[in-house]
Amino acid sequence: MKENIVIVGGGIAGLEAAAQLLDLGYKPIIIEKSDHLGGHVADWNCLFPDMSPAKDVVSSLIARSAEANIFLNTEISFVNKLKDSYNIMLSNGISIITRILLMTTGFSLFDASKKEEYGYGIYDQVMTNKDLEHWFNTGDDKRINNSAMNAVGFVHCVGSRDEKARNPQCSKVCCITAIKQAIELKQKFPDAMVYCFYMDLRMFGKKYEDFYINAQRDYGIRFIRGRVSEVGENIDGRVIVKAEDTLSGKPVKVTLDLLVLMAGMVCNPDSTKVANMASLPIDSDGFLKSRDNVADIIESPKDGVFYAGACTGPKTVPETLAEARAAALKIYLYIKGLE
Amino acid sequence: MRERFLTGYNDFVLPFVCGMIFVLIYCLVGLVRIILQLPAEDRKRFFISLVTPKTLVKNIKDIFLKCLIHVDIWKRNKLLGYMHSSIAFGWFMLIVVGHIEVMLYTSRLGLKALYYPIFFRYFVAETESTMKGSLIFFLMDFFLLVVLSGIALAIIKRVRSRLFGMRRTTNPSFLDLIGQYSLWSIFPLRLLAESFTADISGGSFLTKSLNYVFTEFLSNHANMLPAWWAYSCALGIFFFVLPFTRYMHIPTEILLIPFRNAGIKIVNARKGFAKAQVYSCPSCGLCIDACPMGVLKGNIKDTTVYLNRQIRRNNETRIEEISDKCLLCGKCTAICPVGVEGDKLRIAQRAVRKYNFGPDYSNIDVSEEIQRCNKFVTNQNNIVSSSDNEKVLYFGGCMTALTPAIMKATGSVLEKAGIEFEIMDKDGGICCGRPMFMAGRFAQAMQLVEKNTEIIMSSGADTLLLSCPICYKIFLEKYHLPGIEIIHHTEYFERLILSGRLKVRKEAVRYVYHDPCELGRGCGVYEQPRTVLSAAGELVEAAKNRKESICCGGSLGSLTLGFEKRKAMTENALNNLVADSPERIVTACPLCMSTFNRYADRPVEDIAMVLDRTAY
Amino acid sequence: MDFGFRISPSSAINLDKVNLEKFEELHRIEPDVYKCMACGSCSSTCPANRYSGMSIRKVILALQRGKEKEAVAMMRNCMLCGKCTMVCPRGINTRHLILSICRIYEEDVK
Repeated sequence: MKENIVIVGGGIAGLEAAAQLLDLGYKPIIIEKSDHLGGHVADWNCLFPDMSPAKDVVSSLIARSAEANIFLNTEISFVNKLKDSYNIMLSNGISIITRILLMTTGFSLFDASKKEEYGYGIYDQVMTNKDLEHWFNTGDDKRINNSAMNAVGFVHCVGSRDEKARNPQCSKVCCITAIKQAIELKQKFPDAMVYCFYMDLRMFGKKYEDFYINAQRDYGIRFIRGRVSEVGENIDGRVIVKAEDTLSGKPVKVTLDLLVLMAGMVCNPDSTKVANMASLPIDSDGFLKSRDNVADIIESPKDGVFYAGACTGPKTVPETLAEARAAALKIYLYIKGLE
Repeated sequence: MRERFLTGYNDFVLPFVCGMIFVLIYCLVGLVRIILQLPAEDRKRFFISLVTPKTLVKNIKDIFLKCLIHVDIWKRNKLLGYMHSSIAFGWFMLIVVGHIEVMLYTSRLGLKALYYPIFFRYFVAETESTMKGSLIFFLMDFFLLVVLSGIALAIIKRVRSRLFGMRRTTNPSFLDLIGQYSLWSIFPLRLLAESFTADISGGSFLTKSLNYVFTEFLSNHANMLPAWWAYSCALGIFFFVLPFTRYMHIPTEILLIPFRNAGIKIVNARKGFAKAQVYSCPSCGLCIDACPMGVLKGNIKDTTVYLNRQIRRNNETRIEEISDKCLLCGKCTAICPVGVEGDKLRIAQRAVRKYNFGPDYSNIDVSEEIQRCNKFVTNQNNIVSSSDNEKVLYFGGCMTALTPAIMKATGSVLEKAGIEFEIMDKDGGICCGRPMFMAGRFAQAMQLVEKNTEIIMSSGADTLLLSCPICYKIFLEKYHLPGIEIIHHTEYFERLILSGRLKVRKEAVRYVYHDPCELGRGCGVYEQPRTVLSAAGELVEAAKNRKESICCGGSLGSLTLGFEKRKAMTENALNNLVADSPERIVTACPLCMSTFNRYADRPVEDIAMVLDRTAY
Repeated sequence: MDFGFRISPSSAINLDKVNLEKFEELHRIEPDVYKCMACGSCSSTCPANRYSGMSIRKVILALQRGKEKEAVAMMRNCMLCGKCTMVCPRGINTRHLILSICRIYEEDVK
C-alpha cells in the first residue's frame, strides 16, 4: 500500500489514528512541531474519571504507533494544492505528496496572563491547571509551599465563556478537571480548605456526577457559585480573592495560599495557520469547520482532508480517541473509494 | 473716473442689496440672542474682555490669523491652507480695496454706498487722468485671481479630496450645495462682468485682457447687463442661504474667537457659547478622518461635524445617538481649525437628558476609608508625622484595580526610590467621578468628588499619586486639595529619575509610547513619559502621536458602543502604534493597557511595569 | 375583622402577576439585558456594592421578577465607574443599561 497519509499533530488523536491505520496496513506520517509525542495529555498526571495515569495512556499509544513515520520538531512550511493531492513542504526540507491529510492539531491552552485581573505571572501564588499537573508530576513549583497550604481556590472558566477573552465557548473539561485537581490537592493537603469558584458546573460525562458527589461528600470541597472578578495580594504575599456568592447574593472575600486558574481550550494558532495554507474553513468559534457538526464532524468540506480531536472544538480524551478511530476508518474507506 | 449714469442705480443691484440686508439683520439678531443667552457672569466677562487692551489685541490678531489666513489649516496641510486663505483673505482684500477705490473716486455716495463698492466698474467710466488707478486696478485683479485660484482648488477638492490629504469629506446638505455653487459662481461671474466693462471702466491684466478676447466675439455692450445681473444674483442667493448653510461659520467665528479669549466655557448645551461653536463649524470634515470611530463606515455620521449639523436642525434623536456614542477622546477638538469642542459639546448634550431617578451618595460614610489611610496621621488630633520624606498617597482608581500588575509595579518602583507611600484604595475605593461626569451627571459626580476629597484631606499626605489618567483629569479640574500636589505616575517617575533617586538601566528594547487620550489631550502630559521611556530603552514613535494619538477604543466616554463594536478601533489604533516596529507597546493608562492587550500581537505594558523591570 | 395577627404577605413571586411592560421597553433599548448569565463578576467588583448592595446582576433579575423597588434601591450608590462593563464575560454594556434603567423606571414605585 503506497498511499501516503499525513497526520498533522502527534497528540493522542494523531497517535491513535496512526495506530489504527497501521493495523489497517498503512504507514502514516506523523508531523509533530514539539520534541515529544502525546500533546497536552503527556503533560498531565492523572485522567478523570478513574484517575488513570496519563503516562500509561500516552506510552501505550506511542508503542502502538511506533511503526509510523514520525517527524518531531517539524512544522509545515507550506501546503500546495495539486490536482487531486497536496504537496506538503516541511520545515526540515522534506516534501510529501499526499491525497490524504488528517488534521489532529488539537487546541491551545488559554494564556491566563491575558486575564489581567487574576494576576497570573504577577502574584506568586497564582498558577494554572497545567502548572498544577506539572507539580503533580514533578513536585517542583515554587508557588506551592508544602508547609503552609491552608486554603486553595480554583477559578473555573478562565478564558472560557468569556467574550472579553475572545472565547465565548465552554471548554467542556475544566469543570471536571477542577474537581479532579481539587480532590488530588485535598489528598495531598487534607487540612487545606479547597474552594471552587464556578459559574455553572457541567458534569456531562460518564461518572462525572459521582466525582462531583465525592468531592462534596468525601473531600469537603466548597463550591461557590460566582465568578472571581478581582485578585489582590496582602502583605504576607497571600492572595485575596473577591467574588460574589450568587446563591446567597452576598460578596465573598477569601485569603488563599494558592489560586489555580482553570485555563480553557482555545483553537491552536498553528492549526489555523495550516488550515489557511490548505484553504480549510474556520468555524465561528475559531476552531476548524467540519462538513457537518452532527453527522460529519471528522470530515472537512474538502475531499481527502479529515479531522480528529480538539482541532474542531474542546473534547475529552475518550471523545478524541473515538474520533481518531472513526477518522482512521473513514480514511480507509476513502482510499478504497479512490481505487 | 466719472460716473456713467446720473442715477447711479440699476435694478440688477437689488438681489445683492436684499441679500446683504437680510444677512446683516440675521447676524445681528443672532449675535444679540447669543450674548443674551450667556450666563450673566460670562456676559460680564465677555464685555470686560472686549475693552481690555490685552484681549483686544489678541482678538484682532486671532481673527486675522484664524479667519482670514487660516494658520491652523496651513500648519496641517499647505494646499488646504492656501485654498482657505486665498478665498477668505482674497475676498477680504477685494472688499477692502473695493471700498478704497470707491472712496477715492466718488463723492456724495448716500445709499449708493450699499452697492457701489461691489459693482463699481459698472457705474463708472475710466478717464485719462487716473494713472494712480493702475495700482488699484492691478490690486483688484490680483486678488480676484487669488480668489479664483482658491475656488478652482475647492472644486478639485470636492471631486478628489485625496489630493488634499483628506480620505473622507462631509456629505453636503441640499442648502450647502446651493450655497457652495453660488459661492463658486460669484467670482467667475464677477470676472466676466468686469471684463465686459473693462474697456469702459478700465481694468488690469486680467479683466482688460479678457475684455480684448471677449470683444472678438461679443462686441455688443448690451450683453454686459446679463453678466452683471448674474453676478448680483449669485451674491444674493449666497447671502440668502448663508444662515442656513455651513457658510454661517464665516460670521460666527468672528464672535467665537472673542468668546474663547474671554475664557467662556460651555454651560448650556444649545445656547450661548455652545451655539456659537455649533454655528462656527465650517463642515470642513477634518474631524471625520480624525475620529477613531471612523474606521467603521457606519460611524462616519456620528462625527462632530454631523453633530453640529443635527444640532442646527434640532434633530433630537440623532443628537442623542451621536453624543452618546462618542468615545470623548477629544481628538476632533484638538484638530478642529475653528475650535469646536466636540467632546465638551457632547457632554453638555448628555447633561440635559432627563432621568427618573439617579444616584445619591449622601448615605456613604467614609470614616472607614479615613481610618484605613492613616499612615501619615500619628494621633487622634490629626497631627501629621513630621518625617521629612514626602508623604505619598497612591490612588489606583477603579481601572487599576482590574490591572494588578500596574499597582504592584508602581508600589515596587516607589519602594526602590525609598518613598513612603500609602495605597488609598487597596480594598476598594470610591470612584473619582470622571465616568459619571462624562455621562453628563455633574451633580452626582461632584458628590463623589466631595467624598474622595474628605478622605484625601484627612490622610495627612502631601502628594496624591495617580496611575489612571481618567482619574487624573478630574482630579486636576474639579478637586480642590489645598496643600496636596496631584500628580500622575508618569510625571512622578520622571521627577524621580531626573532627581537621581531612581536609577534606570537602559536596555536594548524598542518601545513605542501610546498617548492615552485623557493624559495627553486631556491633561497635556506628553513629554514626561517619553523621558522615562528613553531612559529605559529606545523610544520609537507611532505614526500618529501626541495630540493626534488614536484612542484605544476602550474609552469609558462612549455610553452606547458595545464591546464587539470597539474591536476595529482597537486594531486600527494598534496598527498606528506599530508603524516603526517596536518590540513592546507602552502606555500609561490601565484601560488602554487592558484594551490593547486583548488584540495586540506583542506585549503591552504600563510605564510603571517598564520602570519596575529596569529601575534599581 | 382584626384577629390580632396578620398573615404575612407571601414572599413568593407570582409570575402571572408580574407586569413586565417596563422590562420589555428596557429590553427594546438594551437587547443584551437577556445575555446575563448571573456569574456575579459585576457585583463582586462593584465599588458601590458595599454601600447600597448594588449588583447589576441582581438588578436585572429583580426587574424581571417585578421587584422594581428593590432594584431601584440597589442602584442608589452606583458610581457608573465601568468596572462591571470591564469584567462582564458576556460583554454587556452595563453602563448604558444602568442609564436606561434610570430613564425607564421610577424611584417611587409601589
